[in-house]
This record gives sequence, C-alpha cells and structure tokens, in this order.
Amino acid sequence: MAKIIGGIGTSHVPTIGVAYDKGKQDDPAWAPLFKGYKPVADWLAEKKPDALVFFYNDHATTFFFDLYPTFALGIGEQFEIADEGAGKRPLPPMRGNVDLSIHIAESLVNDEFDITTFQDRPIDHGCASPLPLLWPHAPDWPGVIVPIAINVLQFPIPTAKRCYKLGQALRRAIESYPEDLKVVVVGTGGLSHQVHGERAGFNNEEWDMEFLDLFVKNPEELTKLRHADYIRRGGAESVEQIMWLAMRGALEGEIRELHRNYYLATTTAMTVTLYEPA
Amino acid sequence: MNPQLAGLDDLEGTYVFDLHTSNRAMKLNRFLWKMIGTEARAHFSKDPEQAMTEAGLSDTEKDLVRRQDWIGLIRAGASFFVLEKFARVAQRTNLEVYAMMRGETFDEFMATRRVPECR
Repeated sequence: MAKIIGGIGTSHVPTIGVAYDKGKQDDPAWAPLFKGYKPVADWLAEKKPDALVFFYNDHATTFFFDLYPTFALGIGEQFEIADEGAGKRPLPPMRGNVDLSIHIAESLVNDEFDITTFQDRPIDHGCASPLPLLWPHAPDWPGVIVPIAINVLQFPIPTAKRCYKLGQALRRAIESYPEDLKVVVVGTGGLSHQVHGERAGFNNEEWDMEFLDLFVKNPEELTKLRHADYIRRGGAESVEQIMWLAMRGALEGEIRELHRNYYLATTTAMTVTLYEPA
Repeated sequence: MNPQLAGLDDLEGTYVFDLHTSNRAMKLNRFLWKMIGTEARAHFSKDPEQAMTEAGLSDTEKDLVRRQDWIGLIRAGASFFVLEKFARVAQRTNLEVYAMMRGETFDEFMATRRVPECR
C-alpha cells in the first residue's frame, strides 16, 4: 500500500526559477531563500519518497481560458517544462508514473471528484519553480511527480473547503494504491502577494504568520474563509493558498511543522514549510 | 454576483479576473497567451500590426499593446498571467511591470521593497 509520509508548502514564484538558472544560490540577496529550502531537500534525500504529488496552478500555459479546467491531473512518463515566453529552461523533463496517475484519476472520479485529465502537455513554473530546490535534477530527478492543477486564475475557482476535500480524496486514492510507494504531498503558492493593478506589491506579514499557525492547529478555520477574505488579507493572487489546503486535507489530523522559512524580499512572501503526521 | 467575491467593491487597484472579464477580453487574452510560442513571438517581432490585426484586437487594444500600457491592458480585461508572457517579449521584468502598474518609476518602486537587490 502506498502511504503519505509528509507534506511540503512552498511558493512557486517564477523569479525563483530565473535566479536558480542564473546560479544566484550564494548571492546575498537570494541566499536566505535558497538556504531555506536546504532542510527540506535534506529531509527528502533522507526519506527518499517515490512520488511528489503537486497541488499547483497552471498560469494559462498548459491551458487557455477558452477551456480552463477547475481540477486537472497530468498523466505521462514525463512532463516537459514549458516555455513561458522567455524560452526553455535548462532542466530535464519532470518524470511521471502513468499507473499511479491513472489510479489516482480513477479513484478520484469514483469518489465523485470528477477531475479532468491531461496528457502530453508541458507544465509551467507552478511545478517547475520550486522542484529543483527540493530535488536534484542531475543526472535525473530521483522520483516522479503527480501534477494536480487547480484553477485559481479565472473565477469561479473552487472554494477553500473544496480544495481541502480534494486532499482528503487524494489520501484515499494514495492509500488504495497496491504498491508500497512513499508519497509526499506538496501544496504550492503564496504567501501574501498581489501582482496586478495599482495594488501590486501588497503584502501582509501578520496575516501570513496567522495563516501558517492556523494551517497546523486549526485548518478548518481556513476552509471557512471566502476568496474575498484571502484577496483582502493577503493580496489578490494570494487566494492561491487554497492549494495549501488541498495538501492539508491529504494530511488530515494532527501534524508537526518540522521547518519553516519565510523570506519577503520584494513582492511575494516566499515561504517553504515541511510537515509530518504527528 | 459570485458570493465568494462579494464585498470587494471598495478594494482599490484590484481587478478580479472572472468569466465576465474573460469572455469580454477573449481575443486580447488569446493574443497575449500566444507569446509562449516561438512562431507567434517571431511573427509579432517582425510585423506587430499584422499580428494584432490577425488576432482581432480592437483599435483601443492595439493602442494599449503599442504603448505597452500595462495598467491599461489590465483595465481592458487582460489577465496578468498572459500579460507577463507579453512582458517577456517586450523585455520587461515583472518587477518593472509592477512599478508601471502602480504609476511609479522602477527606482521608486524598489525603494519600497525590503530587499531591493533581490531581482
């Protein structure tokens, strides 16, 4: 039986990918960000999970608004990293496990989560920005990813509570997979930021800290918030933090926070956290 | 009104991208979105007017693209996430786009940030 051994919360700021590719790991302005991922990368190297399930969002790259899925699961032996306007990144394609992805799709749909599936499409920085900070990519990635995209771009988007329930359904899917795989669930996005309009550059550190504390102690409270609450408190695009709640649903019950790094340098409160079931 | 979004009317400088906006600005957003393709980028670089006409942009939208009026494009219904693809083609970083949307110079904007060197 497959098993969820932990959870990771991480920002997916595209600039992290740019800084990574330019080798800014030791640049004094970037080092606090990269160093903050080291304990999580070390934990992954020690625990050796077979798969990372990514709750992430597409940024109108894999899909366009003419047909925009609310929830979509990727299936394939590999996933190319998308060109988002600046050309291809020097990274190998991310690896997938077809049987595992299909099992999750079947389990979710039979569990009344009617998820869309996609194949043979590149994936953008929603997954690719944080992945190389978590896992080495030379000579190749040490495991597979299961990408689950959540629409947080074009309203109506799923409620915070629905995302939490998706995580609970994912757990049932993982725990009904016959192989003894170790799985880590990753929730991406946030924390506070706004990237459009005259309110661009908005942050709220106090709310970010409250979110991180409630996330461990009382996630129910976070599932009750409306999108408008997230937009007002953390900036318009911080509403994507509902994807963290999908990860929290998959770790239902008590959890321990093993690591937290919070670095608000310019416009997004870049954060990484690590959780294990208590 | 989507009840998940109710109560944001007084929140200035925020333009929620919902299906109403998306439906209204579909051509503009598709034009910006296509900048993830090398052929579309080459076509736009070679003949921007032709590329905009083929995409079915209105005169107002064409003008906003020509002037790289980022806040104007957002107000016209562009999603930031396709706008940033066009920003790559226009050789602008997201930080520069944020500054212009706020009506500030780049230096003014960066002076409001905690670690201005982090770029």
